[in-house]
Amino acid sequence: MKRSASQDAEIEALLANADYVGHPLHDALTSLYRQLQDQVRQLDRVTRISDGFQSAARREAGSLTERLNKQVRQLEKIARISDGYQTMLQDLNKRLEHESTHDPLTGLANRRLALSRLLQWTAGSGALLCVALVDVDHFKQINDLQGHEAGDRALVTIAERLLDPAGGAHLVARWGGEEFLLIWTGIDLAQAEQQAQCLREKVQAELPGGNGESFHCTASFGLARWQPGEAIDALLRRADAAVYAAKHAGRNQVRVAP
Amino acid sequence: MNELRIAGTTSTPTIHCTSVPPCVRLQGDSYPENAFELYQPLMHWLQAHLDAADATLRMELELVYLNTSSVRVMMDVFDLLEEAHRSGKSVSVRWYYDPRNERVAELAEEFKEDLSLPFEILPHP
Repeated sequence: MKRSASQDAEIEALLANADYVGHPLHDALTSLYRQLQDQVRQLDRVTRISDGFQSAARREAGSLTERLNKQVRQLEKIARISDGYQTMLQDLNKRLEHESTHDPLTGLANRRLALSRLLQWTAGSGALLCVALVDVDHFKQINDLQGHEAGDRALVTIAERLLDPAGGAHLVARWGGEEFLLIWTGIDLAQAEQQAQCLREKVQAELPGGNGESFHCTASFGLARWQPGEAIDALLRRADAAVYAAKHAGRNQVRVAP
Repeated sequence: MNELRIAGTTSTPTIHCTSVPPCVRLQGDSYPENAFELYQPLMHWLQAHLDAADATLRMELELVYLNTSSVRVMMDVFDLLEEAHRSGKSVSVRWYYDPRNERVAELAEEFKEDLSLPFEILPHP
């Protein structure tokens, strides 16, 4: 039950009234009332101390939460930046891998990638695979007469034409200086020869020279079908011999290796 | 104050601190086994240098790759510089990057976030 200020005032007034002094209830009530006041004061004190502890604990918890939040934010930032560096490394790795397997001038696969694909595709004993070595005709003359820049442009143009979907090659690679390698899988020698003829026609074209005049460019193709069990070196030697035969027979033609 | 020079390796950057002119340079990749050990002399040098009431400092960075603990250390380094800046000292950061690798600039931007000190991110001249 709640004591009100008016109740307190009424009791105080009754106890102070001289008419009641000496009454047996007066002393008992006075003593009881003092005890009550002491207990109320103690209760107030305990409540004040307890409130003090509670608000200190609240402040402490607040600053701990703040510190924790700050550390979480810092950790998130470290993780975010660190993830960024990992992605950067992965991108650099991909770029390096691409650079180590592609020719910077033409963007074609380089010899390393072509050899690795040849090994992969000839791993099965029954694979149908044909290759053609392509050698640009009179390339030295192009470089000597039109300049190296025109020579480079010619290689880029030839690379683009060898990539023509009509040629159907599964891989077009720059094999060396003015030599390219075409690989067909899943088609026989007769079909590969048709595709090679198609590409030979696409390659021959007028190209702009270094001196303002255009020049004619052609290439000789040496085609060979991989024989199951044959070493890659042996296959490429046969293709190379076929290129030599094409050159010998007047260039700008496809020769098939026996 | 003594000059601090720590030679770089393939996995640690070159660290070079001079009082005259007041400059700190870090250059290279940073993926040491123990980043806190590697950067402790730098942290001590920085704390001692920035303690002076009239301290000024320019930090020039050409860092490329940082592993996680190096990221953590760099954040501590920037906190030190930020504190000095907020107490009125003239400190600044220049982070140079190779324009062929824009990601470094993006990551430097992440470090710069939340800092109020002058912090420039520039492509290599």
